[in-house]
Amino acid sequence: MPPPRTREGRDRRDHHRAPSEEEALEKWDWNCPETRRLLEDAFFREEDYIRQGSEECQKFWTFFERLQRFQNLKTSRKEEKDPGQPKHSIPALADLPRTYDPRYRINLSVLGPATRGSQGLGRHLPAERVAEFRRALLHYLDFGQKQAFGRLAKLQRERAALPIAQYGNRILQTLKEHQVVVVAGDTGCGKSTQVPQYLLAAGFSHVACTQPRRIACISLAKRVGFESLSQYGSQVGYQIRFESTRSAATKIVFLTVGLLLRQIQREPSLPQYEVLIVDEVHERHLHNDFLLGVLQRLLPTRPDLKVILMSATINISLFSSYFSNAPVVQVPGRLFPITVVYQPQEAEPTTSKSEKLDPRPFLRVLESIDHKYPPEERGDLLVFLSGMAEISAVLEAAQTYASHTQRWVVLPLHSALSVADQDKVFDVAPPGVRKCILSTNIAETSVTIDGIRFVVDSGKVKEMSYDPQAKLQRLQEFWISQASAEQRKGRAGRTGPGVCFRLYAESDYDAFAPYPVPEIRRVALDSLVLQMKSMSVGDPRTFPFIEPPPPASLETAILYLRDQGALDSSEALTPIGSLLAQLPVDVVIGKMLILGSMFSLVEPVLTIAAALSVQSPFTRSAQSSPECAAARRPLESDQGDPFTLFNVFNAWVQVKSERSRNSRKWCRRRGIEEHRLYEMANLRRQFKELLEDHGLLAGAQAAQVGDSYSRLQQRRERRALHQLKRQHEEGAGRRRKVLRLQEEQDGGSSDEDRAGPAPPGASDGVDIQDVKFKLRHDLAQLQAAASSAQDLSREQLALLKLVLGRGLYPQLAVPDAFNSSRKDSDQIFHTQAKQGAVLHPTCVFAGSPEVLHAQELEASNCDGSRDDKDKMSSKHQLLSFVSLLETNKPYLVNCVRIPALQSLLLFSRSLDTNGDCSRLVADGWLELQLADSESAIRLLAASLRLRARWESALDRQLAHQAQQQLEEEEEDTPVSPKEVATLSKELLQFTASKIPYSLRRLTGLEVQNMYVGPQTIPATPHLPGLFGSSTLSPHPTKGGYAVTDFLTYNCLTNDTDLYSDCLRTFWTCPHCGLHAPLTPLERIAHENTCPQAPQDGPPGAEEAALETLQKTSVLQRPYHCEACGKDFLFTPTEVLRHRKQHV
Amino acid sequence: MASHVECRPLGVFECELCTLTAPYSYVGQKPPNTQSMVLLEESYVMKDPFTSDKDRFLVLGSCCSLCSRLVCVGPECSLFYSKRFCLPCVRENINAFPQEIRQDLEKRKAPSKRTPSQPGSRT
Repeated sequence: MPPPRTREGRDRRDHHRAPSEEEALEKWDWNCPETRRLLEDAFFREEDYIRQGSEECQKFWTFFERLQRFQNLKTSRKEEKDPGQPKHSIPALADLPRTYDPRYRINLSVLGPATRGSQGLGRHLPAERVAEFRRALLHYLDFGQKQAFGRLAKLQRERAALPIAQYGNRILQTLKEHQVVVVAGDTGCGKSTQVPQYLLAAGFSHVACTQPRRIACISLAKRVGFESLSQYGSQVGYQIRFESTRSAATKIVFLTVGLLLRQIQREPSLPQYEVLIVDEVHERHLHNDFLLGVLQRLLPTRPDLKVILMSATINISLFSSYFSNAPVVQVPGRLFPITVVYQPQEAEPTTSKSEKLDPRPFLRVLESIDHKYPPEERGDLLVFLSGMAEISAVLEAAQTYASHTQRWVVLPLHSALSVADQDKVFDVAPPGVRKCILSTNIAETSVTIDGIRFVVDSGKVKEMSYDPQAKLQRLQEFWISQASAEQRKGRAGRTGPGVCFRLYAESDYDAFAPYPVPEIRRVALDSLVLQMKSMSVGDPRTFPFIEPPPPASLETAILYLRDQGALDSSEALTPIGSLLAQLPVDVVIGKMLILGSMFSLVEPVLTIAAALSVQSPFTRSAQSSPECAAARRPLESDQGDPFTLFNVFNAWVQVKSERSRNSRKWCRRRGIEEHRLYEMANLRRQFKELLEDHGLLAGAQAAQVGDSYSRLQQRRERRALHQLKRQHEEGAGRRRKVLRLQEEQDGGSSDEDRAGPAPPGASDGVDIQDVKFKLRHDLAQLQAAASSAQDLSREQLALLKLVLGRGLYPQLAVPDAFNSSRKDSDQIFHTQAKQGAVLHPTCVFAGSPEVLHAQELEASNCDGSRDDKDKMSSKHQLLSFVSLLETNKPYLVNCVRIPALQSLLLFSRSLDTNGDCSRLVADGWLELQLADSESAIRLLAASLRLRARWESALDRQLAHQAQQQLEEEEEDTPVSPKEVATLSKELLQFTASKIPYSLRRLTGLEVQNMYVGPQTIPATPHLPGLFGSSTLSPHPTKGGYAVTDFLTYNCLTNDTDLYSDCLRTFWTCPHCGLHAPLTPLERIAHENTCPQAPQDGPPGAEEAALETLQKTSVLQRPYHCEACGKDFLFTPTEVLRHRKQHV
Repeated sequence: MASHVECRPLGVFECELCTLTAPYSYVGQKPPNTQSMVLLEESYVMKDPFTSDKDRFLVLGSCCSLCSRLVCVGPECSLFYSKRFCLPCVRENINAFPQEIRQDLEKRKAPSKRTPSQPGSRT
């Protein structure tokens, strides 16, 4: 401490010092930029610990100013000097400085400028000021050391306090002696974060840890990296669908179950791992159960591979016995005592009036907490409800109560909430106020909220189950299991003693099922079966599941995959099935991608496929907001929901391309959850890479080589983005804010005001999602795709609808006959398996159903005007939908409208006709009556040609892909652009044809009596030249003739003309001018094989026959069918079709 | 995340008083990658795990000048007053230290406030 100046002045003998010099010393300005620059030049050089211009430099000056103020306070106090200490006899203590100075407490030293030959400093700055600066610098550095060390010590104390800490050695020892170990402990015992670290400390360096959810992989990898002090190293990483932080140096990787299964698919013996941790096995996720089966088979072939199963303490013996009585290390939880209060509900008569949940029992709990516990005692409430509708009902009532009492903040928690809203449950309530969190079962295990003291358990849960009979997904409410009830109760005892209110009787609890129904027993199994086939694990029916799925579900899945063309008749993967197995989406969406890659529509199809694979981006609150609806109106498409999503995504990309615009605000104004759009972009990129990898998409064009200036600018921008990302990761993460009472629930103006002014801290304003997006995607490329997408022509749009329709087939719904006279919200549709489906409220058609009605262009056909049933129109439409979901009603989700006649002719798997083709039945349930028989025949012939060519091109595309995988050689595209253009043009002409017809759904009775049966077999006409490649054979069950694998001619009853197939009329071919008396069948055959060169002129009959044979022989090969023992000349497609007939 | 070349740990530092453990990558007075700073004791040093800056280091501890025990720099285990002393040695020889050190020790005897638990995150 420098002595007081007055004393110093008195000691000096020189009384003639200039007054100005003395004044300058006393009024030293540390904020002078020149002074600071000089000091920084001397001490904060490029090689120094703190560098000039860095954030650390700024922090130092802030610290310096505070230190100055602190020392000024201290100087004013009088300090007693301690008397001198006697000299100590111990040598280490003898030379301790007698006079205390804080600098002796610091074990660091900064080399002075003199040591480094700094010049000029002495001439500009007084020596005592430089010394003062150096002392402050030392204090700053010491402070930083103490802070960092404090964090390290706290971290280790917390780890040692976890319940699992005492079991670390036991787990390692058990693992040493056994191949499989079960670690059982409830949430909070620390197993997910600590077991990987125990393995790391024990020297294991190739560890994989699976998690059912992506977000768990990221958060656990960060936490384990932090706790093992390698947060900025690469020892711990994660690998999820779109992101990976693993490298060659990674020793522990957290990855999703699905991703591990894909790794097993590539290398079945998993040579890259020595320990596998399978976490959360008790949750019985579909893919986790499958993984256990795969491991059960794998372990005997890998004796060196160790497996740790981590589970909550429910049904542990199931896992232990499944792995040959693997040992169990059970870790006690860390729960405080919890009082259980049963409050069964008795007010049944009142609640039966409406379907809405009665909130009064929940309000009574809030009241009793207010009465019984003083406000100054902390402790929040967590309420378990079954679904979003129930949460809304209780939220409304609870917020009224909260505004009245001012002692609660009510928050919802469910997976459809925006990420920001979900994060609010982790914020802190103001003093004297409690949080009331209304949650689905997501808070049972997935989300851990500290500070919960009270739990209300409604006893209900909503789960998705699959109805194989109706091909319907159903969201149903069930009673929970006893295990779930205990999990819910446990939430109340994590941080102190708690209370659990059960709104049911104890006898109800005793009647609960012990465990939840495993996912494998209640969901559709298509993707699982597809994955099993691609992994070659054998017949799914005999696979050793830990608990087998229902046989009916397996059969339904196998049939569905065959219907979709993914499996052949022997249940082996087809080429399209192999590709679908590698796309992480539903089968129908995968088909869209494959179909789209053949046309020049891959960019729009990528966007739409990605959109249909993520949760809807439209926020729930936006549905009731007129402002959001108005802002979103220009983006809606009357073609259907996929096109609306397409428009939303493209507009968003445009907004992101404009620097000045804020995409977050743009989304909020339109009621769009931006997070979903980020997911779409990620998924879109993944799809594109997969298509490129499999040769279905031309390789990405080499990056355009711009001038050196733009390249330099791009590099600079990317470096800046990386820096922002790093800063965000270094930050403490999201700070816990204090919640506000009466927080605005709606968006609108308050949201705009909140987002408008930039926060004072610049780094807080960084949109980290935006930064990640720009790092991960080539924004210019995306923007170019989005721009070109906006210019989709009418033809391209129609073609895109065909691709979507074919991909989604057979998911079709037909409008009810009376829809045009119904109110907008009462539109009814029927699918093949389910009658009475309705439009989902978010469907774009729900707001404007008139676009679905067959418009009355021909006023003359007014007979039966009360319904649409018998109306002749060329504009009948069907809805193609992505999924059928039942909550309180069966809803059609994500619908596209498609022209009925043309779509059914192009897509139907089963097409039946009467004698003159004026009556068609598609797939056995949809009937079309065409007014003009001749037009019907022409259209039918055209559809046969188009289907054959489309199928042929697709087969060649897939065959090319399979070959490319084998040979890895670059080959010419299998389908020429000219062929694609021709096919596209003709498909569009076909779709645009205008032929009046009626459309209706057949009743069950009609279906039973629809076919003539096999007894009527007239003689086969003998005109080989006219049939070309078509081969006729009597249909074994329907009657009539099987013309192709999907078309059966003249098998329908109700046709009183018994001689129609023999009726010959003179007909002139519009292409080749052939004029001959032909039956309708013969005309179809001729149209199918007619040489379409008008320049050739009308050839003679013999010449035409010869040319036809020559043309067809290019594709045909001799084929001997062993099933029916006949010889044919078939194209490869026809071979497949013929084989299919014998299934 | 850009991964820097990590210093290979030389061993594991363990405080003999509180059993805090951490891998250290350097022992001495001149931490690597640092030009302008020196340590006034032979210290066990690791890279600062809480920052991505590869030049940052964290001093873990060193030997007590009196009893040679390996102690961490935590306030409950040791203090530095021109040399490193473990707290038991300081208490044993408290008369050799200035008044300010004694006052500091008196403060440390008071029980530290228990920090309220922070809200958790997803499991």
